[in-house]
Amino acid sequence: MKTDVQLPAATDLKKPRPKKAPELPILERRNWLIHLHYIRKDYETCKAIIKEQLHETQGMCEYAVYVQALIMRLEGKIQQSLELFQSCAILNPKSSDNLKQVARSLFLLGKHKAAIEVYNEAARLNQKDWEISHNLGVCYIYTKDFRSAEEQLNLALQLNKHDLTYMMLGKIHLLQGDTEKAIDVYKSAVEYVSIHNLTFKHTCFILYTMLLGKYQKAFEHLGNALTYDPNNFKAILAAGSMMQTHGDYDVAMNKYRVAAYSVPESPPLWNNIGMCFFGKKKYVAAISCLKRANYLSPFDWKILYNLGLVHLTMQQYASAFHFLSAAINLRPRMSELYMLLAVALTNLDDADNARRSYEQAVQLDESNLLVNLNFAVFLYNQGDKKAALLQFQEMERKVNTQVDSNINTEFDPELVEMAQKLGAALQAGENLYWSKPGKDSKSSQRSSSSKPSSSQQPLGTNQALGQAMSSAAGYSKSMQITAGAEPLSPSTSCHLHRSVHPNLQSQIFRCLFEWCIILM
Amino acid sequence: MSSVSHELKDTSVASSKWLDAHYDPVANLYTFSSCIALSDLHGDGENKLVVGDLGTGVCNVKLKVYRGTGVLSESTLLDLPTGLVSFLMDLHEPRTPAIAVASGPFIYVYKNLRPYFKFTLPSLEVNPLEQDVWSQAKEDMIDPMTLKEMLEGLRDKAEIPLSVRSLRFLMLEPQEMENFVLLHKEQPIRRQTVITCIGMLKKNMADEDAVSCLVIGTENGDVYILDPEAFTILYKMSLPSSPTLMDVTGQFDVEFRITVACRNGNIYILRRDSPKPKYCIELSSHPVGLVRMGKNVVVGCTHETLHGYTQKGKKLWTAYLPAPVTAMALMDLPTRGFQAVLVGLANCEVHMYRDKNLISTIKTPDVVTSICFGRYGREDGTLIMTTKGGGLIVKILKRTAVFDDRDSAPGPPIAQSIRLNVPKKTKLYVDQTLRERENAVAMHRAFQMDLSRLRLAAARAYVKALESSLTPMSASLTEPLKMNAVVQGLGPSFKLTLNIQNTASCRPVMNLAISFLYDENLYSMRTAFFKIPLLVPGLNYPIDTFVECLSDKGISDIIKVFVLREGKSAPLLTAHINMPVSEGLALN
Repeated sequence: MKTDVQLPAATDLKKPRPKKAPELPILERRNWLIHLHYIRKDYETCKAIIKEQLHETQGMCEYAVYVQALIMRLEGKIQQSLELFQSCAILNPKSSDNLKQVARSLFLLGKHKAAIEVYNEAARLNQKDWEISHNLGVCYIYTKDFRSAEEQLNLALQLNKHDLTYMMLGKIHLLQGDTEKAIDVYKSAVEYVSIHNLTFKHTCFILYTMLLGKYQKAFEHLGNALTYDPNNFKAILAAGSMMQTHGDYDVAMNKYRVAAYSVPESPPLWNNIGMCFFGKKKYVAAISCLKRANYLSPFDWKILYNLGLVHLTMQQYASAFHFLSAAINLRPRMSELYMLLAVALTNLDDADNARRSYEQAVQLDESNLLVNLNFAVFLYNQGDKKAALLQFQEMERKVNTQVDSNINTEFDPELVEMAQKLGAALQAGENLYWSKPGKDSKSSQRSSSSKPSSSQQPLGTNQALGQAMSSAAGYSKSMQITAGAEPLSPSTSCHLHRSVHPNLQSQIFRCLFEWCIILM
Repeated sequence: MSSVSHELKDTSVASSKWLDAHYDPVANLYTFSSCIALSDLHGDGENKLVVGDLGTGVCNVKLKVYRGTGVLSESTLLDLPTGLVSFLMDLHEPRTPAIAVASGPFIYVYKNLRPYFKFTLPSLEVNPLEQDVWSQAKEDMIDPMTLKEMLEGLRDKAEIPLSVRSLRFLMLEPQEMENFVLLHKEQPIRRQTVITCIGMLKKNMADEDAVSCLVIGTENGDVYILDPEAFTILYKMSLPSSPTLMDVTGQFDVEFRITVACRNGNIYILRRDSPKPKYCIELSSHPVGLVRMGKNVVVGCTHETLHGYTQKGKKLWTAYLPAPVTAMALMDLPTRGFQAVLVGLANCEVHMYRDKNLISTIKTPDVVTSICFGRYGREDGTLIMTTKGGGLIVKILKRTAVFDDRDSAPGPPIAQSIRLNVPKKTKLYVDQTLRERENAVAMHRAFQMDLSRLRLAAARAYVKALESSLTPMSASLTEPLKMNAVVQGLGPSFKLTLNIQNTASCRPVMNLAISFLYDENLYSMRTAFFKIPLLVPGLNYPIDTFVECLSDKGISDIIKVFVLREGKSAPLLTAHINMPVSEGLALN
């Protein structure tokens, strides 16, 4: 190749007046070879050929510069690749491809606004490019301009119905909290995307049905997805956590074993395994697994929450206190965390702080009956009947609104029993939902008998809590509805559910995030 | 463990399907699937292997013909071959096929391994403005500098790109331009492109030994169909991008279909009746291999996937591969009615797919870069592969080999039976748990108490540090300074380097001094007090000084450093340097 380059010069010197000028090598003559090596990921050879080619053409070979920039970007030298792409754009200002790559590099550097400008320029050169519209949409998401993002993504969908665009569009709606629109997007994704793209179809369908709250259907589709790809980590985790929700711990464990083989260091996985053991009442194993999860992801509040919960159950209140306060530091606006902390503090004989913690929990809480009930019991045990009555009435109010709006008509029997006991002790609660249908007078009798022996009451706090935690099945329906209504900020009624459930949701969000990483 | 045994079983089954006919790890072949063909070159019923070898990528480019395990002939090629096909160009007896080698803008046709014809791609349209400019230069109406400016203007605006001559001219240094113009101005301007892929298309009969046209794709996105005898262009089609891979089916006179994978990551399907692509498949990653199987097209992509499409561009299936694709080829055994796709992977395996089902795996000693399956010698089912290291592998399919048309990896994942590695807890842990249950309150109180004490101690230490300026950053707002110290040497003399930096945004600091405080029985310093020059913000000032250790008893002490301001008794910064023990003996 070198002889080729020097050929003209050499002949110049020897014969000053040749009849025939030497053949000039064509600039693009090695493009095919560069491409061939590039797509085979043989980057070393590719770089050698590019170097030679650039030497021969003195940097004028557009494609060689282009591929060199692509390789540099793969190697993480984004700034250098950006400069090379810019020189490509100078060599060939008419190509929208070069501009697209410039924009992409800018995007990777986090300069979203600059990327948007370049993409718009590229869009002027090539009106009907799905990729430009899609990437513009993604850039707008990062600049928080959701409306433009939506517009661009819809435009992209008109040009070509790509899986990624649907996912991003769904994500925008979820980010904006517009669940209904997100459902529409997933629904149309399920309809339009060809039947052959099963994995994507299942993902969409699962998201779609979960948003609708149809967990059963979502579960069926997860099963289908798993038969096509039995090692899909995300699907395993989602399916496993659903099985767990229904108390099917052994099957869930089977699934988790597969997942643990392929991804042995996943914090959500070890969290779920831990909660499986918890459900099977193998507390030491549960703590081991949760601690591993915590080791792998020390700043995940859900794992800390579960660790706190398990330690409370094990009556290791001092440890529980530490995990819960760590969780609160990471997520300071969650009422259930304060409630659990208050329970721990009660058992640590720190009534003042327990009370403060309960107050915080009540202040933050919106619909959880347990917060008020536990607080009322605590106040009652402290001898503050007046305040206890107030909390009890607050709980009554919540029950009534839930019943009225038909969100929830079935309550956990333990919770009901505890409430009845307390109601009798406080001489209140006759107008409660569950006391209306003539629930036998036995419970009131029992509560009256329990009243004198107030020594049993402090135990009761824990019992209500512990029982509520362990009786998972009774809650499944209520959980589904509340979770379905607010997928972004899960506020469910029971600890165990939430402890298992957010991971399911986090899993879905994780899916979303991974999708967008692929996009980047 | 079970997965390993599973794999072992798999490969032993697969290897028993093939006979290892020949393996030459140092055959020194650098080639791709497009540059390999099997052909009955002499019409003696024995197929030879024809390889376009890229040599070193620069020189030693050769057309090699193998017969059996040895090289039959070698002929030198002028430039790198992009593709090679063996085709029948006429009906003359004996019916010996010709070899067409595409290289640069030319196709070299060999018959009986002798050069027979050279086809040159038609030149492309030249920008009329460029033509004008050069004709002016020819008549010496403009000097090279003006020529350069005009050409640059053209390059930035023109619809039609410049010719090589103009581009070369623009690269030159001013003193070389004169000669270049003199040399080239008499020649007509030509704009040429290069061939990127080559295929063949039966002319008017579907027979095995029918006459075939050559189909070529060029760098600027054109597809030409050439007449087999006269090498005139029969048909021209254009694509939006440069083609990289090509598959042709049908007959030119009846109906044909050309499937072309392009450099922009799309696949276009061309048909007889339109000069523009009929269908387009947008892939999510670049295609590496393209194989037609029956009526469907199988594409291997860079994202480690294998897709199946109908000939109208509808996606049928996707299979996920364990490693990137390096080569692909069709395995066709018409006598047995068996077809499969061979996919060479970067993990030294060749997978055999029938639709989306993996039916067999072949382990290779190196990464395979090209695959060719067909009749070699007199054996129908021969698999020929070349490797990245330049090796040549020839395998023959056993006649008893049977392939199950079923996915070889069904059933529940093996991992399901592997025990979970749950961390074990010791008895000590359980004991501590019990202790915590009993004494939770006391533990909690003790912890809270100690925590308060710790906080108090930390706060006290902090206040003390602030008061005595012991922090590495000065607290004063007028002289924001940063200092750290490094001790070098084994002793008895040490080098003490103080790095001082002014962290203010723009204000320099002046009138500073440094003083040392140390045990004079242990250490001696040449100057224990000196002034610091003006400190420009942001720069690091290393200040060196030497310390001599006087004791040989292996003891060390602390040296205190004070950064002082003129006229102020309290130091701005204080550093305590823990001196290392002197390891050398003090010189007497």
